[in-house]
Order: sequence, then structure tokens, then C-alpha cells
Amino acid sequence: MVDEFTQTLLGIMVAVIMLGMGASLTPRDFYLALKRPYGLAIGVVSQYGIMPLLGFILATVLVVPETIAIGILIMACMPGGTTSNIFTYFSKGNLALSVLMTVTSTLTGVIMIPLILLLYAAALDLEIPREDIIKVLIVLLVPVAIGMGLRKLSANVGAVVEFCGSILALFFIIFIMVTWVPQNWQFLLNTTPATYTAAIGLGLVGITIGYFFAKSLKLHPRNARTVALETGIQNGPLAIAIIVFSFPADQQQAIVAVPALYSLFIVIVSTLVTFVFRRANTAAEQKMPDSLL
Amino acid sequence: MADADKPWTAFYEPNVRAQLEAPSYRNLADLVSSVAATYGTAKAFTCCLPNGMNGSLSFKQVDEMSDAFAAYLREVAGLKHGDRVAVQMPNCLSYPIVAFGIFKAGCVLVNVNPLYTTEEMAKQFQDAEPHALVIVDLFADKISEATKKHSIPNVIVTRVAEFFPVLPKGIVGLVQKYWDRSIKPIEVPHVRLPETLSSGRKQISKNRVEVSTYHQNITNDDIAVLQYTGGTTGVAKGAMLTHGNLTMNMEQSMELLGRGMERGQEIILTALPIYHIFAFTVNMLSFYWMGARNILIPNPRPLSNLKRAFENYKITWMSGVNTLFNGLCNEVWFTDSPPKHMKFAGAGGMALQSSVATRWREITGTEVLQGYGLTETSPVLTFEPVGKAREGTIGIPIPSTEVACFGENGERLPQGETGEIGARGPQIMKGYWNNPEETSKVMNGEWFMTGDIGVMDQDGYFRIVDRKKDMVVVSGFNVFPNEVEDVLATHPAVTETAVIGVPDGSTGEAVKAFIVSSDPNLSKDVLRAFCKEHLTSYKVPKIVEFREELPKSNVGKILRKDLRAEEMSREAAE
Repeated sequence: MVDEFTQTLLGIMVAVIMLGMGASLTPRDFYLALKRPYGLAIGVVSQYGIMPLLGFILATVLVVPETIAIGILIMACMPGGTTSNIFTYFSKGNLALSVLMTVTSTLTGVIMIPLILLLYAAALDLEIPREDIIKVLIVLLVPVAIGMGLRKLSANVGAVVEFCGSILALFFIIFIMVTWVPQNWQFLLNTTPATYTAAIGLGLVGITIGYFFAKSLKLHPRNARTVALETGIQNGPLAIAIIVFSFPADQQQAIVAVPALYSLFIVIVSTLVTFVFRRANTAAEQKMPDSLL
Repeated sequence: MADADKPWTAFYEPNVRAQLEAPSYRNLADLVSSVAATYGTAKAFTCCLPNGMNGSLSFKQVDEMSDAFAAYLREVAGLKHGDRVAVQMPNCLSYPIVAFGIFKAGCVLVNVNPLYTTEEMAKQFQDAEPHALVIVDLFADKISEATKKHSIPNVIVTRVAEFFPVLPKGIVGLVQKYWDRSIKPIEVPHVRLPETLSSGRKQISKNRVEVSTYHQNITNDDIAVLQYTGGTTGVAKGAMLTHGNLTMNMEQSMELLGRGMERGQEIILTALPIYHIFAFTVNMLSFYWMGARNILIPNPRPLSNLKRAFENYKITWMSGVNTLFNGLCNEVWFTDSPPKHMKFAGAGGMALQSSVATRWREITGTEVLQGYGLTETSPVLTFEPVGKAREGTIGIPIPSTEVACFGENGERLPQGETGEIGARGPQIMKGYWNNPEETSKVMNGEWFMTGDIGVMDQDGYFRIVDRKKDMVVVSGFNVFPNEVEDVLATHPAVTETAVIGVPDGSTGEAVKAFIVSSDPNLSKDVLRAFCKEHLTSYKVPKIVEFREELPKSNVGKILRKDLRAEEMSREAAE
């Protein structure tokens, strides 16, 4: 249940977040991504291999209604979220790698998301509006392109847009708490623990598997932390936008439950993980506070 | 035509003058204004933050704003000719305004390392007795404690994003205040830098103050900067650098290095702190004089902070220390798309390892030329000439500079013999502030003794063997840590290394190597065997210790003295 005003607001927020992502990019990043297929492959495997499989397992093992299962799957198939960049920064991870992975998974998402969703949905015997999802994904690439243009035009405008995008992504949780939680209070009370388990587990288990996946590839600890966060932290706002813009209104409340709960809990999960990572990072603190990402 | 004492002049390009007679400007204030008149509204300084937010000042703006600051210092703050002004800030747009303003006011700039502890600040303030302090807000919480013994009547506070456009400035301010909480309340009475500029402007427009009267009698023999240094003996001393020292060193350096540079066209990266003499003279003064655009980086650590600067600006020249070049060569984003417009890079501050120089050349396709000098020499004494770099050397003396090696008793040694390097030329400091005793220790007639052991080859290129005090004596044999470090650095799994001497029962001292390795499986024996291939056995490290990282100074110099202190205290504990 999302009213028209909230829907518009949601659209604007997601657009600004994508605009910010675009502003963090230069054409050189794409060239570099292609030049390093190994790094690219790690990103794609963790984002579209590990996470959807994890979602599929959670949707199968946990006893949840069909609509909740669709929500779990969609959430699991999303590209990396821009908030992963912020947490990577605070975990002393590799920021450049984080940005690159987020971007790569977002762009490849146009093809990968419908493909993988279709695959797992077929396995679970679920109906999804494939064309609508593709349309939303393509429309969202427009602000990414505009963001890149702004950066080219002026480094300052680019940096400000990028900053606003990251902040907005972080404050998305407040948006959900203020608009979605009160409207769905009764529904949340009736939601089974299985749904909550899925919403929290997706992020927490995703980060854990991502970490050991990166470790098994013998990546530098800094990069392993980055891949871990990148894997577990998904683009929640995008999932909600896709659901709101492509599923019929009567199904939305249930399908959106996991992505919304995920978006709330991932901030807490990531913060805790960041503390663990920071402790693991024995390298000395920087001497001068560097204020900005 | 090379004369016998200066064989290196044969390696000067034909259009390089071997001797520069006198500085082209009356003083640094004159330099600032006349350069600004030439380049006008072109961008002189751009400060670039890690996220790409930036602010710029044109030559004209820097000139006008430094006039205003000079008027403030003299008319409002009541400073007089020769009064010291302490400046404590990282690279940011405020720096050139304040520095140039101090020169125009006829005052003396005292560079203070912003990362200093309150104790270190207090010591320097007691020695220099500044009448004003310009400090960045990040560190302003230290003022009240640091000024207990010597109080400073005028405190002027600025910030990293000062003179940025409104929106980025606001965002940076908010983030620092509420997110980083790096801005603490300032407990002492103070004014903000922009306020000082507006009151300075009022003095100029309403009271008809002529800023030029402050500096018209300043000669090249007047002190411009007090630059503190640990120096050769360890006690911090203020080197008195005159207007002439700095102007000459700028002209001397550019006479040799400026070939191939186009006035008004270059974009240079200043990642080293300007409060350090190398970036002060070479980056700030010399390239301002060249009409270049100076990209100021407030904090180059971690190195990814430089990524946006390399992406957004076509950098044609940069300066750095070995650690910076080495670090960049290990950054994937840098090696994947190295800067395309770079002409060459200049290294100073510490020995450039040949393995680093080689990797840099492979990655960027350009040279990194090594220079040499000390705080006391403003700082440049030698540089590798463009196109005639020689691996392992510090190059040849710059024009108007004489360098030679000296023996134990202060006698000048013939070419080819190893001894302490001495230098004379117009860039040698006037002496240490209030410390004639220390001054006499480092002067040998008109020669300044550097405390470095070196040798001149048959062509006049110099090579540093090591610091006098860093030398390790193993069973009577001299081992120079640089030589061992150079070998270790060529091992593919070694990312950083430091070598010191430790007390040893059988050999008196033993060579100990500290290693930062990229390969967790690298063993001590493999490394020692590797050294054996390249070094005589007494030079091979007896002890090898692996570390996550090595102690470094704020310009990135690896601090052997800290490692030695660690060893000493461990020794004492046992």
C-alpha cells in the first residue's frame, strides 16, 4: 500500500541516488572495469551468483507466503547499494573498488536481474512482471548518465550531487520509518518471524559469505572487507522502486515487506560489521581527520 | 668550459646559465605582485578535497587578498617589521594568501607543523616568539595549552574549505562539525581569516593604506621565513631563510628544471605539505612564479585521496617523496590509468630508491628526477637535469651552487673521495634563530656542512652514501642503510623497508632490516639469501623483522630514528 505522493517521493529519491552514483563516475571507470575482467568477475559472481542463491535458499527453507518469497528474491537479485561505499570507507576498505563494484553490478543488472529473477522464480514457480522490471531498470540509467554529465561539467557540482545521493541513500531508512512503518504497523505485527529472519539474514549471511569468498581468492584484507560489504549490502531503494512501479497495488504490501525491512536492518547490520572490521584493521588511524568520502 | 671545481656545469643545457648574479626581485612581496600582474585572472591555486569538491583563486585574487591580510597584520593587529607570524595549516587556499600577506607586511613567516603536539608547538612558540598565529580550525583546540608559556596576542582561524564556493564549503563544514566531529570549540579569543581580510580591505580603501610601504625597504638580506628543523644534531632549530635565499633558490631550481616547462601552462600537484620547505620553495614559490596552476591537496593519506585530483586535472608536474611515488605505484587506480600529461616528477626529502624510480618510469612513461637539499639550504642544492638522470645519484648542483665533499678535519677532498657533503651558494641560510652556537657547528667557513656522507663521480654527479649518524659499524666495517634498503626494495614481495644498526655482542653493531611485505609467506631466510646475492656478507641483515607498516614522518619519510628508539627501549627492558 503506497499512496501516490509517497510513490512520487520514492521515485525522486531513487533518481537522486542514481544521479549521485553517476556523478561518482568517469568514462575511464568503464574502460578500467573492462580492462580488469578478474575484478569484474568477482563482483558479478558475488552479486548475481552468491546473493540470489542465498535468497533462493532462504525463500525455500523458511516457511513464507508466495508474496514474501518474491520480495526475498527481488531483494537478493539487486545490485550493490551506494551505502556500501560509505560503510567501506568507515571499515577502512578499498573505496575505489567499492564504487567500481557498485557501478558494475548496477549496469550489468539491466541484463542480469531479469535473467536471474526469471530463473529462480521459475524454480519456485512464482509469477513476476519481467518487462516492467526491465523498463524500471532502464529508466533508472538515465539519471546515472546525467550524473556523469554533471561531473564532467563541474567537479564541484558533481561532488555535491554525489554527496547528496549518498546521504539520501543513508537517510532512506528514515523515509521508510516515517512513511511505510506507520502505514503498515498492523501488517508488521502479523508478519511471521520467518520474514524478519529473511530480511536480516540476507544482509548478515551475505556479508559473511562474501568475506570468505574473497578470502578464498586470497584477496588483500582491505579488498576482502570491501567485497564482503559490497556483497551483503544491496540497493534497497531500487528494490522498493521496482516493486512499486511494476507489481499490482494489492500485492505490493506483502512483496515490499522484505525489501523495506531489509533496508531498515542493513544499516544496523553494516554498522556492527564495520565495528568488527575496524577492530580487525590493525593499521594505524590516519593522523589527520579526513572528513569526506 | 666546465671549470675544475665545477665539472658538472658541462651537463647544463646550453641555455642554462651557470651563474645567476642576483635575485630578479627586490623581495618576495615584489615577486608576488609582479607575477600576479602578468597572469591576472588565470587560476593560481586550486584546493581539491578527496571527494572532488574544490575551490580556486586566481593570481589577481591571491595578490589582492594578501594585500588585505598584510594591511590587517600591520594596521589592525599592530605588527611591525620583522615580527613573527606562526602559520599552522595543511595545504589549502588560505596558505598562499597568508604566506604572501606576511611577506608583504614585512613580517617573518614561521611554519608550524599542524600535526605537532601541544608540547612541540609550545617549544616552537617559545623559541620563535610569534606575535600572531594563523591556524586551521581542525587543530585550534590545541592553542590554549600550547600558548601557556608564550602567549600569542593575535589568533586567526581559518578552515580547509575556506574560499570554496558556498555549497561545497557548507557541506564540508557540516560534515567536519557533525559527522567527523573534528572541529572542537576554540577556547581562546580569535578572529576568522575572512574577517581579517575585510578589515584589511577597509584599511586600504578608507584609510588609504599603501601596502607597498611595508615592504619597500625590505631587502633580500631580510629574514622571510623561520623554518624549524630537527637538523643534524636533533634539537629543533629555526633556520633563518631570507627573501634572497628563497628567491634565489626558486630561480636556481627553475633555471635547471624549468626547461621544457611552459610559463602559464603547467598544472602541478602539490600533495606534499607546503609547511615543509621542499613544497614551499619548489611547488608554491617556483610554480607560482612560472604562472602554473597549483593543485593543493590538504591530506594525501590514504593515497586514494589523490584519485579525484588525478581524474579532474591534467597534471603536468608533481613533487613527492620516495614513499609517495612508491605508494602510487602500488595503487591499482593509479597504475591502471597513469596521468597522461605528466612531463616529469621531482623527488626530494629522502633518498629515491632506484626500484621505485624504475617502476615509476615503467608505469607513467616519464622520469622522476631526484633532488637534494636541506631546510638550511632553502632547500635545493642538487637536481638531476632533465633528460640526463643518473640512477642512484642526486644529480648535479643547481646553478650558482658549489658542492664538495669534506674530510674528518674539515678539509676539502678531491673528486671521487667519500666525505661529508658541504655546500655554498646564495641559498644557504643566514643562521639558526637565536642560536649562534648551533650555527657555528654547521658552518665551515662559508660552507654549510650537511651531515650527509656522499661522493662526487668523475662527471660531477653526486651520490649520497648515507646520513652521518645513520651509518652502522659492523666489526669496523661501515654499512650504509640506504645501500641495504635499495637491495631489499628490489625484491618483488618487499613493499617498504628500513634498515638500522642494533647493538650486537660479537660484531659491536649488527644490521637489522624491517620489512613490510605483500606476501605473507615471504621468509627471513629467503630475504637474507637474496641480499647475499647483491651484498658483501657484513652488509647482509643479521636480523629481519616483518612489520605491518613502518613509522613515517608527516611527509612520508620513513623514520629510522623511531625504529632505533624502539630497539633501545626493548633492549633496556630485557
